[in-house]
Parts: sequence; C-alpha cells; structure tokens
Amino acid sequence: MAPTLPSSDQASDQDNWDNGRLARKRQLLIEIVLRNKLTALVVDGDTTCRVLEQLLLRSYGVQTQGVDNGRDAVALIASGVKFDLIIIDMILPVLNGLEATRQIRDMGVHCKMLGVTICSGESERQVFLAAGVDVFIEKPLDPEHLVPILRELDGQ
Amino acid sequence: MDVVNQLQRQFIDYSASLHREGFLDDQFTQLQKLQDDNSPDFVVEVASLFFEDCEKLINNMARALEQQQGVDFKQVDASVHQLKGSSSSIGAMRVKDVCIAFRSFCEAQNREGCLRCLQQVTHEYSLLKNKLQTLFRLQQQILAAGGSIPVVE
Repeated sequence: MAPTLPSSDQASDQDNWDNGRLARKRQLLIEIVLRNKLTALVVDGDTTCRVLEQLLLRSYGVQTQGVDNGRDAVALIASGVKFDLIIIDMILPVLNGLEATRQIRDMGVHCKMLGVTICSGESERQVFLAAGVDVFIEKPLDPEHLVPILRELDGQ
Repeated sequence: MDVVNQLQRQFIDYSASLHREGFLDDQFTQLQKLQDDNSPDFVVEVASLFFEDCEKLINNMARALEQQQGVDFKQVDASVHQLKGSSSSIGAMRVKDVCIAFRSFCEAQNREGCLRCLQQVTHEYSLLKNKLQTLFRLQQQILAAGGSIPVVE
C-alpha cells in the first residue's frame, strides 16, 4: 500500500520515521500556496545574496524589488511605495541597515521587517531589533524561517 | 537512454562527492530545487554572479593588505564579511569557513594571518569554481542527451 503524503505542516512521526528522506526534503523546500499578492523589498549590498533572496521570495509568488544600499531603500519607501515585507541586511553601502531601518520606522511604516545578516552575535541581534526589525535571521535566508512569516502575512 | 543514465549517475556521484568533501552544503541543494522549467539556468547564473563577486572581493582584500603604510583592517573585514554572506547564501561551505577564520585575524589586526587566509580563500574559490564548472558541464551533457537533471538529496 503506497503511503499517502502528509499535508504540508502535519507530518506524522511515523512518516518522518519511515521517510527520513522525505522529511529532510521538506525541510529543504517547504511549499505553501499564498492566497494574496504579497510584495517585498530586498535590501542587500551583495549581488549574490540579493538575487538569491529575491528568487526565493519569487518562488513563493511574492512580487519583489531589490535595492543594493540603504539610502535607495529609504528613498523608495519615502516615495510612497508600499511593501508587505522588507528584508534588510545590517551592513549596507551608503547608509547602513540599522540607520535605514530606523528611518523607515520613523516614517511610520509598520510593515514586517526582517533583518537578514551574516552577523550572528547576540549584541547584533539586540541592536537590529532595537532599530526596528521584527525578526533577526542569520544568513542564509531559508524557507524554514521565511514560510511562517509569509503565512502570517497571507492571513493563513 | 543508457547514455543518459550513465551521465545522470556521474552527476549524482559527483554532486555527492562535492557535498562529502565540504565544497557545497544544503543551501546549494536548496538552490537546485528552486531551479525549474521557467529558470533552467538559474543555478549556473547565480554561480557566475557569485564568482564575479568573489573575484572583486578578493581583489579588494589583496589591495587593502598590500598597503605598506598601515593596513585598513576594517576595509579588509568589510570585504570578508560580504564574502561570508554570499558564500553562505550559495552554499559554498569551505569558502565560508575560511572567511570565519579570516575575520578573527582582521579583528586581531594580524596582517600575516590575513594574508594566509587570503591565500586560502583564493585557493578554495578557484577549486570550487572548477568543480562547479565540471558539475554544470555534466548538467549540460545530460540535457543535451535528452535527460533531466536528477535532484541529489
């Protein structure tokens, strides 16, 4: 009898035990379907990271824009463009991520902001959260961290 | 069909060896899963971007470390930091690991340690570039023979 695939977030222990491989695969690429059109801004000075993060978001159907420095990010938000989600690195050219985050928050923008950075210390985490990001994520940005946030934004 | 199977097996074996030897980690596998019919060359393109970034950053580091009258370790660290970010995003584990050590030497303002790390990172980057080029070539051959790229867990 062929095993039936469990629904995306209710794998039984039995399934995981029998299908370690399946569980591991699901760990690596979690699939969800978004009901709403979500938009995101990715702010990262590193091309590889920015491209990858945008691609990851797009693979979930999120419409994304990317900028490579803090100043352009602030300017874009100031011009009135709205996003459901902003992903921002801590270290950025021209205007750093901490300052850019503060300025964005000071504008009264309340959207979800994820601080995604290679810095992994507790003090960095505190500082970034204090600047106004909602979640601190150590690079690389992965589905395990991203999907629950997308679900929340989608009202699932 | 035999040819395709053979190539696919080669691809799987080679992929597995790259993971085993620590050149690539799970992050790379995840990227491969993001590749689909809409973006068949995505992994190759992202890898090219990464190598471009690498070269630029390595050159920045080399230039900064060459300064005879006082190395700007902050500048070196900024480049290493960026390289650490992009290498971890693409799954280039060995490059990332060198960056970790590299940052400690920057913090300690140890020029010799930094230079050693620079050599290591250059070495790891070129090793990885070669290996990925081989992997991509195998990919191309599989596609040319009418097969599909197996996903390696």
